[in-house]
Amino acid sequence: MRFVQGNIMPGKLVGSPKGAARTGTQAIAHAGDHSDLDEPKPKIAKSDPPSTAIPKKNNFKQREGTKNVKPPTLEEMKELRDTQNLFHSNLFKLQVKEMLEELQLKQKYTDFIENWLESFTAFTRQLKDGLMERTHLEVPMKLSEKPTGFVFSKPTREPYLIGAAATGTLLGPKIVVDVALEMPKESLHKEDYLNLRYDQKRALYLTYVTERMMESPDYAEDQFNFNYYANNPLKPVLELIPVTKQVNKHLQVRLFITAPLSSFKPGRFVPWNNNIRPSFYGDEWDEKDPLPSTQHYNANVLFDLTLSENQAQLDKAFKSRRNFQDGLLLLKVWLRQRQLDIGYSGFGAHILAAFIVYLNTQRILHQSSSSYQVARTVWNQLANTDWTKGISLSVAPIQTEELNKFAEHYDVCFIDFTGQHNLCANIPLYLYQRVREEAKLAVELLNDMKLNSFPLIFMQKCPLYSRVDNILKISNYSCINQMLTLHSHPRIKYDFANYGYPQLLHLLTELLKKGLAERVHSILPLETATAAWPVEKKAPVIGKYIQLGLILQPEHAYQVLNKGPAANDDHEGAEEFRRFWGEKSNLRRFQDGSITEAVVWGTAQDSPAKKRLIVRQIVLHLLEHHLQLDSKEVQYIGGELDQVYQLSPWFKVNKLKTKLPLGQDTDAEALSPHVIRCYDELARQLHGLNDLPLEIVSISGVSPIFRYCEPQPVLPQALLVENRILASSIQRVVIQLGQSGKWPTELGALRALKTAFLIEIGEKLEAQCRLHWVMSADGLLVLKQGYCFLIELAHNKELALLKQEVTERGITTYIDNAASRSLERQHYILPKVSGALHSLHQTYSAFGSTVLLAKRWLATQLLDDGLWPDMATELLVAHLFQQRYAPQSIAAPQTGFIRFLQLLSHSDFNGELFLLNFNNSWQEQQIADLEHNYRSNRQSYPPLAVATSYDMQHAGRLWTSDQSPSQRVLGHVTRLARHALEIIETSLMSKDLRFVRPAQLFRASNEGYDLVIQFKPDLVPNSLSYDLGSPFVSFSQPNFSLPRAGSDYIARIVGLLRSAYSDFAAFFYNPHGGKELGIVWRPPTEFAAKPFKVTELQACSPCGNKKVQVLKETLLEDFKLLLKDFYLRIATPEELKREQREHQKPMRYFDANKAEEESKPKPKKHRQRKGTGKKALPKRKRLIKSSTLKVLK
Amino acid sequence: MVELEGYVVVPLRTTPKAQHCHSIYMREHFIRLMDPNKPKGRTLFLLNVPPYVTEDSLRTVFGRAGSIEAVEFAAKPGKEETIKWYEGTGEPFSNTRPPFVFKVAYIVFEKNSSIGKALALKSIDLFNSSGECIVKTGMELWHEEYDCNYLLDAQKTKLQISKYMAGYDKRERAAAQAAKTGEADADGWVTVGKEGRNAGFEQKASVIGRLEEKVAKGNKTKELKNFYTFQIRESKMQNIVEMRKKFEEEKRKIGLLKQSRRFKPF
Repeated sequence: MRFVQGNIMPGKLVGSPKGAARTGTQAIAHAGDHSDLDEPKPKIAKSDPPSTAIPKKNNFKQREGTKNVKPPTLEEMKELRDTQNLFHSNLFKLQVKEMLEELQLKQKYTDFIENWLESFTAFTRQLKDGLMERTHLEVPMKLSEKPTGFVFSKPTREPYLIGAAATGTLLGPKIVVDVALEMPKESLHKEDYLNLRYDQKRALYLTYVTERMMESPDYAEDQFNFNYYANNPLKPVLELIPVTKQVNKHLQVRLFITAPLSSFKPGRFVPWNNNIRPSFYGDEWDEKDPLPSTQHYNANVLFDLTLSENQAQLDKAFKSRRNFQDGLLLLKVWLRQRQLDIGYSGFGAHILAAFIVYLNTQRILHQSSSSYQVARTVWNQLANTDWTKGISLSVAPIQTEELNKFAEHYDVCFIDFTGQHNLCANIPLYLYQRVREEAKLAVELLNDMKLNSFPLIFMQKCPLYSRVDNILKISNYSCINQMLTLHSHPRIKYDFANYGYPQLLHLLTELLKKGLAERVHSILPLETATAAWPVEKKAPVIGKYIQLGLILQPEHAYQVLNKGPAANDDHEGAEEFRRFWGEKSNLRRFQDGSITEAVVWGTAQDSPAKKRLIVRQIVLHLLEHHLQLDSKEVQYIGGELDQVYQLSPWFKVNKLKTKLPLGQDTDAEALSPHVIRCYDELARQLHGLNDLPLEIVSISGVSPIFRYCEPQPVLPQALLVENRILASSIQRVVIQLGQSGKWPTELGALRALKTAFLIEIGEKLEAQCRLHWVMSADGLLVLKQGYCFLIELAHNKELALLKQEVTERGITTYIDNAASRSLERQHYILPKVSGALHSLHQTYSAFGSTVLLAKRWLATQLLDDGLWPDMATELLVAHLFQQRYAPQSIAAPQTGFIRFLQLLSHSDFNGELFLLNFNNSWQEQQIADLEHNYRSNRQSYPPLAVATSYDMQHAGRLWTSDQSPSQRVLGHVTRLARHALEIIETSLMSKDLRFVRPAQLFRASNEGYDLVIQFKPDLVPNSLSYDLGSPFVSFSQPNFSLPRAGSDYIARIVGLLRSAYSDFAAFFYNPHGGKELGIVWRPPTEFAAKPFKVTELQACSPCGNKKVQVLKETLLEDFKLLLKDFYLRIATPEELKREQREHQKPMRYFDANKAEEESKPKPKKHRQRKGTGKKALPKRKRLIKSSTLKVLK
Repeated sequence: MVELEGYVVVPLRTTPKAQHCHSIYMREHFIRLMDPNKPKGRTLFLLNVPPYVTEDSLRTVFGRAGSIEAVEFAAKPGKEETIKWYEGTGEPFSNTRPPFVFKVAYIVFEKNSSIGKALALKSIDLFNSSGECIVKTGMELWHEEYDCNYLLDAQKTKLQISKYMAGYDKRERAAAQAAKTGEADADGWVTVGKEGRNAGFEQKASVIGRLEEKVAKGNKTKELKNFYTFQIRESKMQNIVEMRKKFEEEKRKIGLLKQSRRFKPF
């Protein structure tokens, strides 16, 4: 009976989840019953306690878990939602925030500005009216009369801040504070609107105030300079550099002189008015004709008259609105990085400030918009609105007809608050369009969620010269004057007050626009700011120099024909065409039967390098025909560096036995299609072979030439001699076979079958296609039409067998290892990447030639494939073309090369993984995961990490390694690139008409090496590339002998040297026919004495006291042994330099060889094809003196 | 005789007049664990062997001390190191070579007495009686390498392949035969092959993975998601937690970028 009662109790407990009190009660009752049961049945009692405890523990854990998560606050929820909607990711927002913090002005500068303005205000208050006497300063403007006699009137208004200082958007590192001082109305007379009188008074007023400031003890130690605002000679300003510890010359004050808007009656400076009479320049004007409008001069004066009112409106909008200020800061950074705000034609930041106010007025931008929204909205509106028809900020609405009338006089029209001044008066149409394109690109980058657009928009330095494809530079003083005198229309002359620069810009832009038409996308002015000069010196004459950048339209730029109207249909049009093009125009009959005037610039068979110079031909012809400018008086920069991948002039093409039409001026790029066509035919023949045991599924060319990336010219000169193939280069081809279940499961057997298959292919090619072949350890060598192809077989079972491992439990797994990764890369991934790069070249025709320049540059810096993989170069350039750094893609390889140098110079290789999303096959999440893995496991990636979407699980580790390029080499290349960029930039932006000579960039420095080993010239064939000389020795007789196919002995020997001795020395040589090996020893710590250790004894000799050390002399003996028969001698760079100075003539190898070898030279088995090229002239002094290599130690 | 830490130190000379020679450290090889390939008392151990020294050249030099049974290399001392050194090099129709680095060498003599004679050498002379280096380098080496190892004679290669494949086929048939019989071994175990009535599945990681996945899936309880109120609440909280985590990670990334001055545009 009691037992039955005990059974019921647990059931009750389980079924009662109610109050705790009840549970407690039942527990007590249960305990009581339990004690009764103890006596008769002890076994049952033991099982009860565990079952009771488990439910309680579970409940407790759940509560604990819940407590750990803090519920989100309302503020946090709002922030999360904003971030998601606005920024697409928190990362962009955080980066923007960090940058804005960096840009914030320090308090000490703010304090200084306030104090300075106060003291300047006090200074102006004590100025007195007076007559200008003889002054020690030079008035910074050309005057019609003597400065004496100018009547100074004391300013009646306090000076005030303008521009960034007023709106709170000053941008470092050099802080320029603009201050405006207003001339009183009494200083100006009624007729001063005429003939530059206002401007001269303005300059005199500035000079007077400057002189008084210099007399004042407050400014005794400060530096006084004059400068032109925005390269405008009618706008001199005082540049004051205060000398105090507080700002330490990081701050500069600019003083502007203005005048009240009421100085002249309204309507005086409307654009259609004339305010400069022709008689002012001694010109006659027919009284019957209306006077020409001087809209640009009028706007020039209005800039001063409206400054006060405009600034007041801007202050009202920006004061204490942090979001607008930060938004403007973002836009200013964006603008400055692209150099769109420089010079007379620059798109100044004040225009953007006004545009922000305009958008706010139009209700497009709200008061509460964030800084990000401000920037984004401005970009959007810039991209989508058109200012050529005119927009207005005026408080009083302007009628549409009047706005149109206003806009007719300017390229771009943005009317200010007063309704009288066009803020964009000096902006040329092309530059305005450029700004719009950049804005559109910024919006697209923001919208791309696969991209971290922050560095591209704000951090990337994009100087304008690296965005244009060609550059035209005219700096000859007399030529400039001739053009202005003979060809500038008087209307333009008066309009710009005879300032030369805008006249030239207008003249040249119109001419080139008409002549080049759709060949160019843009014609942009490239300006540099005028340098300030001391106030005691005469003002410099500016505007006698112009530089234009051309952005080409790749679809049309390289057309060889300009076709005019038909002679019989449009007689006047044909006449006009003939007049415009001059003697270049000829009447031609075309195949479609039409007879038209046409200009022919080349032939359809011309090489791409030649076609890329057609625009240059046109420009030079137009300048000569219309402006009488000889081509040697201007500089046109287009393809000067393309020389480096041209065929060496010492190799005579006409000696080749080939049917292909090859010219002596051919180059690596033009020769590639011949190889590709030959390969295509070979592929067809392979597919067409009969009776193969297995079908061929795919054939891929994997050598660089199949994607136009082979920098050394490949000529059809391979041949068969004594059953051996002689070839200077080999093109690799990978064949994939169909599936079959009969392949062996053993690696050796599988490879044996592959070899047999290749031999069978060779035999069938010989029988069916009459091609010569030789079997090699790497694959099947096939000779066809003078080219040598190496055919390899790819089969995925080989890959599986390489990966196969059996664990201790007997389970078969497939694990990557070095061999399988290498095979997978070579046979499966490289064909896909090669195809993708080939497509990239089809899309951007400058891609291949940019790679040629980049590879030639790296090779001539003595960086071979062992130090810097060629594939890394191709992928980095591809990354350059894939990324949208600019609104237009690169059309000129020279520009592409400059961008490549910029990428090497400024990339953060530690933090950036270079992703190439071919075919957009990577999903957003995959990219995010990959980048996260990269950041988390940075140590497992090589110093330079490149990943393509075909790399699968090897992404980031396939194309580079820890040794190639190593951290040291990567740093070395970065410094070399910066140095090269410096040379290019200096040359491009100077007034000198000489561009960089290829030898300046493409010949390495001879500094920094410890030893140089010279090879025997007859054992190292010269590259067929254009020879730029060696950094160590003078030119020597070229050796164009054909080596055996696949025998690259120097490369193999250097590989062995690196394998064995890289702990002690670094080896450098030029893989493009270089005849020297540069050696840099490791730091001296590697050669110090150290204790004896069994595992650290490599290359060590005992040196007493139970210690060992490495001796350089011993290593040198090893180098000699490994380079036996190949090296001529070993010298130090100093010795070589001394010899170069003593003997300008090239060393004769024959004499040197006699001294080295007593025995007779071995009979040469190779045919010698020595060219009869000229010997090089004595070299000029090298401009490059770099010690970058020493950093390698 | 120069000794250092128990090793005899001798110069390695490539020519009779050689200066600046490498030093080779020699001693009798001894090791706690027995290695049948390196027998005690008959094995000479060399340290700091330059990469260009070949097996043949060592046989020539040390053959003067007695008949040599074997010469083996390794990157460093250790039981498994010799196997690593020669990994993949014995495969036919492949190009794998041992590493070209400084190495250690084991020379196994046929007699014990040769050890003493070897240790008595004053120098290791890698040249013949006429003073020429016996290690092949220079054009001779590279020509031989090209003609003998790079270029393959098609007919000889075909014969070689036929012979090798015949051996492979024989091995394959033997393996298939062994799998078919299914006889018990001494302990009573029977190997299960892919053929026959009681065929087993392939022991691949992927196959086993799929089987385990299937079992796990069968055991999984079917549960409705986001059905109960607490499930919905937990799901929302989980989203917020993940978002917070993501933001924290991005802040960390910003911190890293900050160190490299990545936010100063000028």
